[in-house]
Amino acid sequence: MESLLIILICSLFVPGIIVKTKALFSGRKGPGIFQPWLDIIRLLKKGSVYSLVSSYVFQFGATIYLASVIVAALVVPFDKYPSLISFPGDFVMFAYMLALGRFLIIISALDVSSGFEGMGANREAFYSLLAEPAFFILMGSLAMFTGYTSFHEIYSNLHYADRYAVIIAIIAGYVLANFTLVENSRLPVDDPLTHLELTMVHEVMVLDHSGFDLGLIKIANNLKLVLLNTLSINCFIPQDWPIVWQVTAFLFLQTLFAAGVGYVESFRARNKMAMNPQFILSISAISLILIFVIIILNNKI
Amino acid sequence: MITLFHLSLLSSFLFFFLPRKYQYAFAFLLQSMLVVSTSAWAVQAWSASTPVQVALGIATWRGEITLQIDKLSAFFILLVNFICFMGIVYAAGYLQPYIAKKRATTISLHLFSFLWLNAAMVMVTALNDGIAFLLAWELMSLTSFILVIFEAEKEETLKTGINYLLQMHFGFAMIMFGFLLVKDATGEMSFTALGTYFATHNNVVVFLAFFIGFGIKAGFIPLHTWLPRAHPAAPSHVSGVMSGVMIKMGIYGILRVTSFLQGDFMVCGAIVLAIAILSGILGVVLAIMQHDLKRLLAYHSIENIGIIGIGIGLSILGYATGDPILASLAMAGALLHCVNHALFKSLLFFSTGNVYYAAHSVNMDRLGGLAGPLRLTSIAFLIGALAISGIPPFNGFVSEFLIYNGIIHDFASAGFTMFLAGLAGFVSLALIGGLCLYCFTKAFGMTFLGTHRSVHPYEIRKTHWTMLAALVPIILAIVFIGIFPEWVMYPLHESLATFHWLTGTALTQTAPAAAMSQVSLINIIFLGVMVTIGLVKWIQQKKVVVATGPTWGCGYTAGDYRHQYTPTSYADSLAQLAEPFVIFRKEYQPIGERDIFPDQRTFRTESGDRIERSAIMKVIGVLVKYLPQIGRAQTGHIHHYLIYPMLFLALIALLTFLQVI
Repeated sequence: MESLLIILICSLFVPGIIVKTKALFSGRKGPGIFQPWLDIIRLLKKGSVYSLVSSYVFQFGATIYLASVIVAALVVPFDKYPSLISFPGDFVMFAYMLALGRFLIIISALDVSSGFEGMGANREAFYSLLAEPAFFILMGSLAMFTGYTSFHEIYSNLHYADRYAVIIAIIAGYVLANFTLVENSRLPVDDPLTHLELTMVHEVMVLDHSGFDLGLIKIANNLKLVLLNTLSINCFIPQDWPIVWQVTAFLFLQTLFAAGVGYVESFRARNKMAMNPQFILSISAISLILIFVIIILNNKI
Repeated sequence: MITLFHLSLLSSFLFFFLPRKYQYAFAFLLQSMLVVSTSAWAVQAWSASTPVQVALGIATWRGEITLQIDKLSAFFILLVNFICFMGIVYAAGYLQPYIAKKRATTISLHLFSFLWLNAAMVMVTALNDGIAFLLAWELMSLTSFILVIFEAEKEETLKTGINYLLQMHFGFAMIMFGFLLVKDATGEMSFTALGTYFATHNNVVVFLAFFIGFGIKAGFIPLHTWLPRAHPAAPSHVSGVMSGVMIKMGIYGILRVTSFLQGDFMVCGAIVLAIAILSGILGVVLAIMQHDLKRLLAYHSIENIGIIGIGIGLSILGYATGDPILASLAMAGALLHCVNHALFKSLLFFSTGNVYYAAHSVNMDRLGGLAGPLRLTSIAFLIGALAISGIPPFNGFVSEFLIYNGIIHDFASAGFTMFLAGLAGFVSLALIGGLCLYCFTKAFGMTFLGTHRSVHPYEIRKTHWTMLAALVPIILAIVFIGIFPEWVMYPLHESLATFHWLTGTALTQTAPAAAMSQVSLINIIFLGVMVTIGLVKWIQQKKVVVATGPTWGCGYTAGDYRHQYTPTSYADSLAQLAEPFVIFRKEYQPIGERDIFPDQRTFRTESGDRIERSAIMKVIGVLVKYLPQIGRAQTGHIHHYLIYPMLFLALIALLTFLQVI
């Protein structure tokens, strides 16, 4: 229960902080921290415009996307506090639930017969297929390191498993942070603020969504960012701290991550499209290094 | 029940004397009789503690031929019957245009073979005796050959059929070779004799012989080349049955042989796992490159056989390294994936049949926008697509979840070798999942979404109601297994008891099997959340203006069907990564600098299977080169031919004299 609560709280301010940071770095005052949510509320009050060629898929796509992200949130724990539902192999369920949402949003994009959206759909499918192994290798290695197979048990034993846990936690946190950037289409893989549709990934897929549907998609995006972020931040917070400290550290790290994303997006250019596969595969490579570090630590060789 | 069984098979010869009006009705009746009688045995076997024996009443020099139905057989019999029955229901609509067009004999031969294919598959899963098994196996190949060449007036179809028949006979020879090795050592030619043989001899050689023989039927790479040709050539109800259950007979064979293994688990498991990983990944990569929808599905069968193989391989390895939980979870995953694949693949093939029936093409380069006119078919295809990508709340997820869980459970205790094997299986499953999503967003999107992609929009023929009715029970089964996976754990547990080396662990007591109720809970919550959001949307949208308009073209207003993504362009980003495995060629004339007003141009793409071209065609090339030399012996003179037996007898005499044989 704690986990769901804190994830929801974070998703309120994290998107705003990214926007605010970018504004400050470019010398503007910027909107308030809750502006992204105010925008969403405005969208939720509107009607939608549907393309003439679209079918029922387009009408349900956004709904199922949001539902899948909400359900995925049920298995994500906050540090040692259990998620609502926890069972062996729940991280597999987590990854496949997100895949369900992705599947629907991709086919919604293909539904409007636009070349631009087809391109975005294609890139989304391609990048996520490259990123998937990184997540699985990483979770597999953490499962091996701790000897447990569910999110909750893995995170509550991560720091006790070994005295080298710090190294492992740092690499795992780094890999997951990068995975978060790829999955949420942030820089350096995708630039959400670019003005050219040809260079977008996620934004171009939802070009034709409007009103209520767009609102749902934005909620899902915010939630997904915080969810994946939580997986990464959980690696850094020791389990034996008192809860007040843990919550403070968690909120601080979420803010720090959001500010970091804002910083990167202010000063870095997006990768060349052709460079992206290499960038994503390098995340898998790092998680493979992690797994071999763990093999050596566990004396398996 | 045996009377019903005999009656249905014997009266099948009456097909050839019936007028074409009653043929289908008669076929339906006979198929129902067959399905009812054999399913009754299977259900009986399910509740009995010892295998059910059914004497077929055919006395031979080897004694009475008996069906021996244990729980593994029963499992497969029920699966075969379900899919075959749905196939015949589906055929009612699909065959209609052909019944009017084709000769009555062709139709009767087709229906006759369909019935006998069902019977042959039932017998394959239940015969213990080697020779009887081989006969049933051959019957299965022959009947499916006749079914594949239904449209034999097309030269390509006939060629494909002959290719299929030849490859099946190579497989037959390998299985026979395996049986003969066993017979030579034990004096008995049956599956049970395998147990005796394996206890005293090296397990690898015979296992490998059977694995190759059965692997051809199953379609493991590099033994897969018949599959992507035969499935598209066959009519859809046949492709559904062939891909859904017939290739599973190969898996059944491998499972049956595996269940008798006594030693060398490490080597056998490693071979199966390596081949399976190759099949799984390459199958889906090749599938992505296709633009013929049925060919795409055929390559997906290879991929799913790969997933089943990963389960079997890991299970054997798990036993070899002393992790019974991995062994039983992975095997349960493999068995369940047999069911799951049979369900969603027949669903996909049947709905593709609807597309072909309605739009006269399965070439995705021309299709598009069918979600409107073929709404129900498109929903069925979407469910199949989600299920095959292993996405919850559908059944494909459950079987993959079991295998994943076996592996991660094993990670904590595994030694280095087992760990590497587990990691390879784990990563390839994740990769296959991602690739599958890529492939099926393409398949569904290009076929059903957007607008048509060819110059001339096709006219749509209305589908027959049975072509939709046959999909409903399959969808129900898919959703049931997906949402209530805990209900299938017990039957799986029962079937696992056939493997003598798996009896130690109770599947139902492992933590992941127990976790199935949680999976079920999550799926139900998902449905609840989805419906709630949908309701909120529905209520909200009633109050505001919901409009329609043209697709946003980023400022360009003259966009039309030619601007859409095509199957080829969708697959393009993967084409570069897949370069080592796939030959991908584009033929076009680039537009030069001075072409201010380019004239009409053509663009052609072609994709080929590099493994087939480099590994298999080379071997065949050598054979084609040297086999004609043997043909020289065929001189056309009778007196030469008389010398050959003489030479043979002399050789036998010599070898006997030298005590070689």
